[in-house]
Amino acid sequence: MSRPFAPAIEVTGLRKTYSNVRGTFRRTKVQHIGLSGIDLAIKPGELFGLLGPNGAGKTTTVKILTTLLLPDSGKAHVLGLDVVSQTSAVRRRIGFVFGGERGLYWRLSGINNLRYFADLYRIPPSVSRPRIAQLIERLGLAGREHDKVEVYSRGMKQRLHLARGLLNDPEVLFLDEPTIGLDPVGARELRLLVRELADAGKTIFLTTHYMFEADAICDRIAVIKNGGIVAEGTPTSIKRSVENKGVIEVEVEAIGPERLAQLRRLPEVTSVSVTERELAQVITLRCGSPSELMPQLGAILEGIQLQKVSSREPTLEDAYIQLIAESP
Amino acid sequence: MRLRVVSPFAVLAWLFFPAIFTVVGLYVLSGPGTATPQLAYAILGGGLLGYWDIAYLDGGMSIQNERWSGTLEQIFAVPTPLWVIILGKVCGSLLWGLLSFLPTIAIAYLGFHALLPHVDAARFTISFAILSLSFLAVAVMLTPLFTLWRWALPMLNGFEMGFYILCGFMFPVTLLPTWAQGAGALLAPTWAIRAIYASTTNQGPHDFGIWWGATVGLTVIYVIGALFLYRLIERRARISGGLALA
Repeated sequence: MSRPFAPAIEVTGLRKTYSNVRGTFRRTKVQHIGLSGIDLAIKPGELFGLLGPNGAGKTTTVKILTTLLLPDSGKAHVLGLDVVSQTSAVRRRIGFVFGGERGLYWRLSGINNLRYFADLYRIPPSVSRPRIAQLIERLGLAGREHDKVEVYSRGMKQRLHLARGLLNDPEVLFLDEPTIGLDPVGARELRLLVRELADAGKTIFLTTHYMFEADAICDRIAVIKNGGIVAEGTPTSIKRSVENKGVIEVEVEAIGPERLAQLRRLPEVTSVSVTERELAQVITLRCGSPSELMPQLGAILEGIQLQKVSSREPTLEDAYIQLIAESP
Repeated sequence: MRLRVVSPFAVLAWLFFPAIFTVVGLYVLSGPGTATPQLAYAILGGGLLGYWDIAYLDGGMSIQNERWSGTLEQIFAVPTPLWVIILGKVCGSLLWGLLSFLPTIAIAYLGFHALLPHVDAARFTISFAILSLSFLAVAVMLTPLFTLWRWALPMLNGFEMGFYILCGFMFPVTLLPTWAQGAGALLAPTWAIRAIYASTTNQGPHDFGIWWGATVGLTVIYVIGALFLYRLIERRARISGGLALA
């Protein structure tokens, strides 16, 4: 069967194991699985999100696709080019941004960081000069481009990272947790920018821990756990695919472990989580039918001062938590 | 070059260390009745040490600095091959290292009125150019080891002093025991340094052809070794993922 599109990124049966040594005197070699044979196909111009807990295989996937790592087996193609054997051609046509403050020359100015990387990407000065000026303007670094990176805020450093990733005008951009550690305003600005880039036709491969981020900007997402893909689809289809039909949030002053255990034992409840909100605790119950659960909930919470009870549609985070909890 | 200019270590290596070695060398070797050939080791030795330090340590450590600052992965995944990037960095270090001769020659001339009246300018220039080539080859060959082999830094620090002695930076290698002279003969800079010092005196031997040939021959071997190392290390780094700071 022929495909309706030539994928910008195509991954088939990708496997990767890492080796490390344990012990000081009696050294033993230990292997752990990074990827256990994943398949992905991402359309040109798509904003694809890869979600998963720490150590699930997100960064390993990105590093293989950006030619930094070799897979043990399987195939990975970016823009039709093999990332193992056609590394130089792949590197010319992709950009990548890893989250965090590192990865820049702190003692150089922002503009000198960009000039240096433009040289490494072999961009002629006649092209790089106007492009750097344009990126500085677009990413809100104008006026600060001659300051040393060491005095930049975290948000500015992340925007400089993105400018570096866009220097070669890549057709595919890999973003590994790009909003990690950013303040809400900075993270929102970066998300908008990423969405704009995707709307302008760039294929974007994004990894993130933040479900609302993936829900807000991704066209399609995959959830990865222990090196394997456990779900794939649009954010809406992923939300629909899980058993939870609803979520109840109960805000209480305090709840003891016995009552929480009682809530967890209810057959209609798929998961219970507790978060602190100012001076209150918010109990989140993911369940099949909120209306059917209410009487039992009232009985268990009897005697506790309820500050607020609400019911809502499940979010991507609810779906993600269920997927991660249920998959092996 | 900009990274060299802003590095405190690079300033120490081109200014302070060569100056200290030169002053000590001149005090030791410029006594009454001291002949010019020995004085050359004091006048040029400090500068050569600074030049070598910057090429060897600063060039080598630049990769470690890239790892610490998290930029090693970034430069590894660009279309320009890693060896070209390293070559550029070491060339920058060598250019910067030339500054080492400013304080040493100034101290020798202004402080001790020490001169080299018998310098053969042509042979000196050729020998110095060949020495620079050998420094470049050694630094380019050693730096990829930093990308994977974390023992490289302490090893490098340890060998720094060994190179001073075995290559005869500040005294003739003929003063060394035979086994040490044998070890020094395997190092390309040894022959070029011998040629440099010979070009500052009219006293023989003057086997420039042999010395230049030995330096160039060993340098070619280093370059071949470097090409092999870069291929090996690039592959190993992509298998182990050892480019990021663990």
